[in-house]
Amino acid sequence: MEVVDKGLLQQLVEGQISDIDVDEMRRMTKKDPERFWTYLDILQEKVTWDNKILMRLNDHLYIVMNGTERIVKCDCGHEYGDYRVNWKLHTDIRTRDTQDSMEQVYYPAAAAPDPEWMELREFYCPGCTAQLAVEIVPPGYPLIFESFPDLDRFYREMMDKPLADESPDWFKDKTADFLAAL
Amino acid sequence: MATVMKEGLGLPLEKTLAYKLSQRDTTYDETGCYWGTKELTLKDQDPIKYEQFFSRLQSAVFAAREKARYVAASPGGREMGESVWALATAEGDTLAMSLGFISHCAAFPVSIKHMIDNDFEDNPGINDGDVFGTDDPLTSGAPHPGDTYTLVPIAVEGEVIAWACSVNHIMEAGAPQAGSWPVFTVDTFMDGFVFPPMKTGENLRQAKWWETLWMRRTRAGAMNILDDKMRLAGCSMIHGSIHEIAEEYGVEYYKQACKEIIEESRRMILDNMRSTLIPGRYEGSCFRISMLKGQQTIWKHADKNEMLHVHTMFSQDEKGGIVFDTEGSSRWGYHGFNGYPGGSDVGLYLGITTTFAHSCKASAGVNMNVESIYHEGSIYNPDTEFAACANIWAQSMQMQCLSSSAIHRNFFMRGYLEEAFAPEDSWDGVQGSGVLEDGTPYGFTNFEWVGGGAMGAYPFKDGTPCTWAQHTQLCNVGNSEEFEYLIPPLHHLGRKLEPGYCGHGKYRGGVGQSSVHWMQETGQRLGITRGGSATSMTTFLSSGMNGGYPAPGVITVTALNTNIPDLIKADGDTPTTAGEVLAYAAKGKLTGDITSWKYDPPEQSMGDNDLWANAAGASGGWGDPLERENSSVVEDIRIGQLPEDFAKTMYGVVATKDEDGMVTMDEAATKQEQDALYASRKADSKPAVEWWKEQKAKVESHTIREELLEMYRSSTSFAGYDKHYRNFWQLDDDFEI
Repeated sequence: MEVVDKGLLQQLVEGQISDIDVDEMRRMTKKDPERFWTYLDILQEKVTWDNKILMRLNDHLYIVMNGTERIVKCDCGHEYGDYRVNWKLHTDIRTRDTQDSMEQVYYPAAAAPDPEWMELREFYCPGCTAQLAVEIVPPGYPLIFESFPDLDRFYREMMDKPLADESPDWFKDKTADFLAAL
Repeated sequence: MATVMKEGLGLPLEKTLAYKLSQRDTTYDETGCYWGTKELTLKDQDPIKYEQFFSRLQSAVFAAREKARYVAASPGGREMGESVWALATAEGDTLAMSLGFISHCAAFPVSIKHMIDNDFEDNPGINDGDVFGTDDPLTSGAPHPGDTYTLVPIAVEGEVIAWACSVNHIMEAGAPQAGSWPVFTVDTFMDGFVFPPMKTGENLRQAKWWETLWMRRTRAGAMNILDDKMRLAGCSMIHGSIHEIAEEYGVEYYKQACKEIIEESRRMILDNMRSTLIPGRYEGSCFRISMLKGQQTIWKHADKNEMLHVHTMFSQDEKGGIVFDTEGSSRWGYHGFNGYPGGSDVGLYLGITTTFAHSCKASAGVNMNVESIYHEGSIYNPDTEFAACANIWAQSMQMQCLSSSAIHRNFFMRGYLEEAFAPEDSWDGVQGSGVLEDGTPYGFTNFEWVGGGAMGAYPFKDGTPCTWAQHTQLCNVGNSEEFEYLIPPLHHLGRKLEPGYCGHGKYRGGVGQSSVHWMQETGQRLGITRGGSATSMTTFLSSGMNGGYPAPGVITVTALNTNIPDLIKADGDTPTTAGEVLAYAAKGKLTGDITSWKYDPPEQSMGDNDLWANAAGASGGWGDPLERENSSVVEDIRIGQLPEDFAKTMYGVVATKDEDGMVTMDEAATKQEQDALYASRKADSKPAVEWWKEQKAKVESHTIREELLEMYRSSTSFAGYDKHYRNFWQLDDDFEI
């Protein structure tokens, strides 16, 4: 297999692909660079809104163009604002910090993290309540900014298709600026 | 031009190792190519000859592994295959590796550089067929003294052109705490039998004193000598093969082809990275408890509890190679969880090597595409030569999984979903020592739950148990036959997958495994500890994948003075997993002193009918668990991998399993339960900004337990992380953390 076609990739995205096809994909000597564009096509067709998807961040979240802005958006349509700010700051957070609440999500009970030392954070989309992320960290730990892609560099260097609004400013973490303004 | 001879060596300067090492670095710095090799001349001129040449090298190291393990070996070397054989250049750069511990290619150049920098060429001399050994984390790049290296120089007419290298994990390291991953170690002097690179034999034969050292300084001398013979047997085979190949192809062809092989793989690995990764910054963290308070009272400076913090930032350099910065990771301490940069790289390269060198010659070309940054003073680069490093694996496999996690997020974002999964692999080892009834002392390590980890969940399907071991391509189902008959008092009372034990999600991680070890005929004395990765106080990594839960840590349960004989007499129904030990105890069926440990237990003195139960090898989930198909939950219940009550709290699936194993789901009750779980998400959560303000107040008022404040003070003693921490909580520069 040299190229993964759209139908097969769609099956992969939907979790309906056969193990044999997955094995074939894994045996590709070199990954097909055009996959990214096919992937974006499939994802764009899945969502109900029109913003152009620049990159998939998460099962539900995308970096999209919104006018002249690049924002994070959920497939339900909820918008998280500037993608340079850790999107977790725009979620709803539930904290599990008791033994009982830890045991609701870890089994057997002996496997549950110790609430005397750790807390479990669940991040939900305010729009659709989807669980977007889980962190298990000590109290007082900063939110983890899991993925902050350099879109300009990726589109220019890896995909040979520079974005029209390139600017060095796009790859500056704005999380602290957002928090300073609170 | 007159030939310059290096004094005392009788060799032209350009044939000395010191010169080669210097020239390799200079030419790479100048050109960005290995040894300045801009053109792959030999490959271009005669590719068939070039590939045949490489296949001869590859065959030599593969043959060494497959034969040497059957010459002599401990169970760790043979049954587990915790070993690797490799061929390196004169400077120590790997050319070809067997299956096995391939990330140890990071350590070979550290040992060889140490020997070159310390004039070993002059004294004691580096000659064809000499045998060198080492296991010292500081000077040889060994992760810990349990990993022992044999290095054999291959010289033609006095010029070293290659090294045959081998490493394996030995069965006992000779530390005060028996086994091969001591936890309760204060400094290097308590790590066990630590030796920097030294000449231990000549003409492919070890000196007799070397065997005596193993017998006197470790508790499993016979096993360790078997492993030593195994490593040397393989190196001897490689030594012979390379002499034949060099003669057949000519030494000059040999030397030039080796440079081209590494340069070729450097380029291909870089291309693999560029074609699958996305430039950016990917943050990760994990934690590992070091609970020593009250247990190191002789050494007061080590008598403390610490939560170790591993913080990483994964990014790309200008070429597209990987930059892995560990700033913010804790400062080193008086415990066994430190390591030096070489050994840290061995951990880091576990996933990187297999991920990016899959389609090319797996050589030192990997190393040239990875910049690892270990800040001085941290657990990965102590600013002392005496730090204990006996058990860096307890957290470095987590550290490497943070790198893999970033890579797998990249695969997902770029559309290569078939390669993406939640890369977590908790592991556990039972270790200890004892004295048999007849007075025979012994020490041991059981690698059972080192080799059989689970795959994490993919973005399109569940993970699978017993199919992954990040440190080797040769995972197994937790092989233990040879360990069992070589560790007299440990018998398996039970062994199977531990139901529900994984990170859950839309797609769940592979379920972990569990054993219940039953002590019989414990003789005069038996003491047991563990040496493993994250305990169940924490999860394996901090972040789950896209809404899934990260893998749980390792479960350890001890049961002393049990009524197991009564249970056997009654109906033979005894616990078969760690979870069942606790469940039987809760029901009152199993009696005794039963403890579930959230941290490394101190040595447990065990007698007949005591139990040591552990569970490990669980992996992480992917995606929102409430998006999991109900039918998948029902199927998990049917096959015994998910208890019904937990299916309800985790997935909202209400189902019952009858005596025949048939599972029936109550659709209406399930809908109601899942609606309730969604409702609880709204009811029990708050906007992140509100949460942030409350947490900031906690941070500012120091209402966090003291050990965790100490952890933050340790991490923020590194300037970059201090800025990161203060920026997030918006703390003034003069605020005392």
